[in-house]
Amino acid sequence: MPENNKLARYAAIFEDIKAGDIMSSNVVEISAEKKIAHAKELMKIKKISGMPVVDEQRRLVGIISIEDIIHALEFNKINDPIRRIMSTQVVTIHQGDSLAAVVDKFENFKFGRFPVVDDDNRVCGIISKEDILHGILEKFNLIYIHDRKRTTTLNTEYSAITGEKLNAEEANFHYRIDSSDIDAAGTGAAKLKQFLSGKNFHNDIVRRVGVATYEAETNVVIHSRGQGDIYFFQDEDRFIVRVVDNGVGIEDLDKAMKEGYSTAPDHIRERGFGAGMGIANMKRFADKLVIISEKNAGTQVEMIFYLPTQTWPLI
Amino acid sequence: MGARGAKDGNMIKVRDIVALLDAEVLSGENKLDEEVKSVGASDMISDILALTNPGMIVLTGYTYPQVIRTALVTDLLGLIVVRGKNIAPETITYARENNFLLMRTRGYLYSSCGKIYGMGLRGSDAGK
Repeated sequence: MPENNKLARYAAIFEDIKAGDIMSSNVVEISAEKKIAHAKELMKIKKISGMPVVDEQRRLVGIISIEDIIHALEFNKINDPIRRIMSTQVVTIHQGDSLAAVVDKFENFKFGRFPVVDDDNRVCGIISKEDILHGILEKFNLIYIHDRKRTTTLNTEYSAITGEKLNAEEANFHYRIDSSDIDAAGTGAAKLKQFLSGKNFHNDIVRRVGVATYEAETNVVIHSRGQGDIYFFQDEDRFIVRVVDNGVGIEDLDKAMKEGYSTAPDHIRERGFGAGMGIANMKRFADKLVIISEKNAGTQVEMIFYLPTQTWPLI
Repeated sequence: MGARGAKDGNMIKVRDIVALLDAEVLSGENKLDEEVKSVGASDMISDILALTNPGMIVLTGYTYPQVIRTALVTDLLGLIVVRGKNIAPETITYARENNFLLMRTRGYLYSSCGKIYGMGLRGSDAGK
């Protein structure tokens, strides 16, 4: 396919993604009349480095950053109202802006995130680079990279979804998959679920992690013919499960994605496996799923599960 | 006395199903008074994983220890093995270790499901 057509096709795929679809909507904002000290506390609690500032009608009037607060501390202005020190030159994104326009903003202004506003200039969300990536992944639901250049992506320390560093040694849970024992398939997922059960998380997310991990682990046992590992990382607002193996890789993902398609041999099917639902089930139970695979180089499955969001009241 | 059912507005307990199917309880005896809200049937691991709701009872012909692990991961209330099949001792041990409700009936899958359906219990696709 000529390069231009390809580009046009990609552009068409993302055409209907609007800023409002990919923004994070639980944004922490603060009133311009509050004291700077108040902003300092809120940013400390929420571990954020900046906040949109709003008026009584919740319309965006400025932005306050850590730098502004340090400045206020230096000049002993910490009890002044925020409106005195906030930056009023705010670059915003409109919730109806296209993905292309959002990307342009990131290119033209070197900020890490932008507030998203509605027609009345009210803050309705915030967009970081990560949200863009999420938006794209959401569109595909799954990304499959089958490319020599991507060999370096396999087994790296970086999340394929968020780009953040995932150090295997810092995983909250690890399980080495014994891929020689079909009877043990699912043990890692069961142990992970047990690990999470004692921790006061919502039953639903624990069950979803268990089921999706079970399928990923079973795939390693049935198909990989290699070594495999399950890693679980807990973040403030999400769980990341990574299941990696150094086996034979997935040859045809389009087929593997099809419900009911399976390459499992008969002795595996007799044991109730090989329904051809593995990847479909991972997709069903994870919020985000990325599979990176290359023939004879292994497979890496990464799944994200979002913890139920807490809403933060306007202060 | 006829089988009690949801249609009479009565709660259906595990022990009602045990009586109806003349089932033996192999593990999880302390759960006989728990309420059963929906029921399913499958021999495929992936189907159990994908299509059940937490708290369901599933009828199956599957007897490997794997089935208990699958049931635990999916938060099932219990399993009923049909056709009086031989169950591997490891499967029963695994169920007991986890205090998981495991039952067995001589009835075939179709008939057993039919009887339970007749009590008024529906599957996870009810209303879809």
